[in-house]
Amino acid sequence: MNPILAAFELVANWQVFLTLVSAALFGLLVGAVPGLTATMATALLVPLTFFMDPIPAVGAMVTCAAMAIFAGDIPSALLRMPGTPASAAYTDEAYAMTRKGQAETVLGACVLFSAIGGLFGTAVLIFAAPALAEIALKFSSPEYFWMALLGLTCAAFIGASSPLKGAVSLLIGLFVATIGLNNPAGVPRFTFGSTEMLSGIDFIPAMIGLFAVSEVFRTIAAGAPPWDSVQSQVGNIFRNWGGMVVTYWRQQVRGNVLGTLIGILPGAGADVAAYVSYAVSRKLSRTPEKFGTGHLEGIVESTSANNSSLSSAWVPALVFGIPGDTITAIVIGVLYVKGLNPGPTLFLFNPQTIYAVFIMFIIANLLMVPLGWMAIKLAKRLLQAPRAVLMPIILAFCIVGAFASNNTAYGIIVMLVFGVLGFFMEENDIPIAPCILGIVIGPILERNFVTTMIKTDGSIIAFFDRPIAAALGIFLILLWILLLAGAWRRRAAT
Amino acid sequence: MRFSDTMLGVLLLVFGLAVGFYAQTFPAIPGQKFGAAVFPTTIAVGFALCGLVMLIRGLRSAGAPLIMRTEWTRKPGAMIAVLITILCVVAYILLSRPVGFIPVTTLILIVLFRLLRLPWWQTILYAVAAALIIDFVFRSILLVPLPLGIMPRLPW
Repeated sequence: MNPILAAFELVANWQVFLTLVSAALFGLLVGAVPGLTATMATALLVPLTFFMDPIPAVGAMVTCAAMAIFAGDIPSALLRMPGTPASAAYTDEAYAMTRKGQAETVLGACVLFSAIGGLFGTAVLIFAAPALAEIALKFSSPEYFWMALLGLTCAAFIGASSPLKGAVSLLIGLFVATIGLNNPAGVPRFTFGSTEMLSGIDFIPAMIGLFAVSEVFRTIAAGAPPWDSVQSQVGNIFRNWGGMVVTYWRQQVRGNVLGTLIGILPGAGADVAAYVSYAVSRKLSRTPEKFGTGHLEGIVESTSANNSSLSSAWVPALVFGIPGDTITAIVIGVLYVKGLNPGPTLFLFNPQTIYAVFIMFIIANLLMVPLGWMAIKLAKRLLQAPRAVLMPIILAFCIVGAFASNNTAYGIIVMLVFGVLGFFMEENDIPIAPCILGIVIGPILERNFVTTMIKTDGSIIAFFDRPIAAALGIFLILLWILLLAGAWRRRAAT
Repeated sequence: MRFSDTMLGVLLLVFGLAVGFYAQTFPAIPGQKFGAAVFPTTIAVGFALCGLVMLIRGLRSAGAPLIMRTEWTRKPGAMIAVLITILCVVAYILLSRPVGFIPVTTLILIVLFRLLRLPWWQTILYAVAAALIIDFVFRSILLVPLPLGIMPRLPW
């Protein structure tokens, strides 16, 4: 049967649709609550996906993440608190517009351009991924080694406020990845005689700990103060849609393209895309003086960028198995559990699954308009949910989720340790995202390094011996030189 | 709780050295140059280098206290609240098997709600409701074997 028809058949049933809508509502709720990120929404969803079929499981994560990234804009505009880090770049701007009484304009723009951005990223995913998979079929261990190294470089150094602390976070992740028996030599490392640690650190409880439990600790430490109440009224968000598309098409396209590119880059995600786009928009604007006073231009560009990067981050994840951002890092774990091992062969042997994922991306971004409208209407009520009630319940949910990943108390111990670690890292301004990517990419890096060395009897030349590997290697070395030069110039400037 | 650059640097340096030396005990793959120790050793060197840079940075700008409390943890009781939360999770790990999911979870939620100064009636209501709902969703729908303990099996 035609794989595209097969894909429609996989998606078109009420069970998948119900899952998508529930995941969307969950994503909207988590995204709209300041402090709870899109990554956390995805991590909390993982224990539930264990019990789903592969297609609804992946669909749930796609929808949940897309909604959460959009919903982050709601408290940005209404409370001046970014719901997710991806909205932080334009929070002040959005709030300034609300204060000028234009809440419906800014929120309408966020819904519209988030959905369009998501669809643009999806289009790129649909066309670029299979083409890249063709190339990836020619990849062997040296190429994967370079790709993994590229992912690590981007994770630690792109968009990090302090490259040193980014590197520390990355090293923590890489170290965690070495624990256990699962290495090319088959030697138990850093297990200290524990049988449970032989199988390594379970990724899901670690994620839940780093992203959710650490946030619970932080909120409880602050005594869970209530948010300011939402004062402004939100009118008809659909009013200016036609005009906005005409006025801001340039910004929209630029945001989409830039966001998509940053998303495809392994390791850099939606928050980096939003920051870069906002900066670019200001630089290229005809009226840069209006930025910061409640001007829509930069918001359009960066809200287009963060949602498009979310979709395109799946390109490296599906094609190479190397995550494009923290959310796809989690997704890769779920894909393995579901027997859909990411990599070019997925496109060969399971094309209907890939197409089904594409279809769900489109559905998710279309669902964003009605559900987003609903969320904005309910925002006032939603932001009254007391954090004092929410946080302990989230903790209980985390405990059960960590337990469910293996049905042992070991998962909860891992969750707690990583919760404390995440809390400590945030306290010291060490970013968490590089750590996650280190945990996922570390084993890929090591396996491909050792495999290459065994193949070539320990000759380093092997990494430059094949044309694609050589190109990737030279590209990466140039990138390093650029990064070093940039750091040098910044130091000289201060 | 914020560590100064000096403190963090020393910590990373010591950790790097410990990992590095421990990694040397891993057996090599016979006949191969690169075995199980290569990767951990590289990471250890990375830790040590980062630690060293931080230590130098910290010593240059001397004067910061080794351990500082960040703004939100300076509030009275903030660190104790975090400690209580951690102890709640530890209590769950130790008690859930003998006592059961529903009683332990209800108890933990009561402690945490009270810690956040929720009124008593809300505390009891939300704690019992949340424990029962989570139990229903995970045990009955998703078939996660949450420990029963002393609780009889609920009829659903």
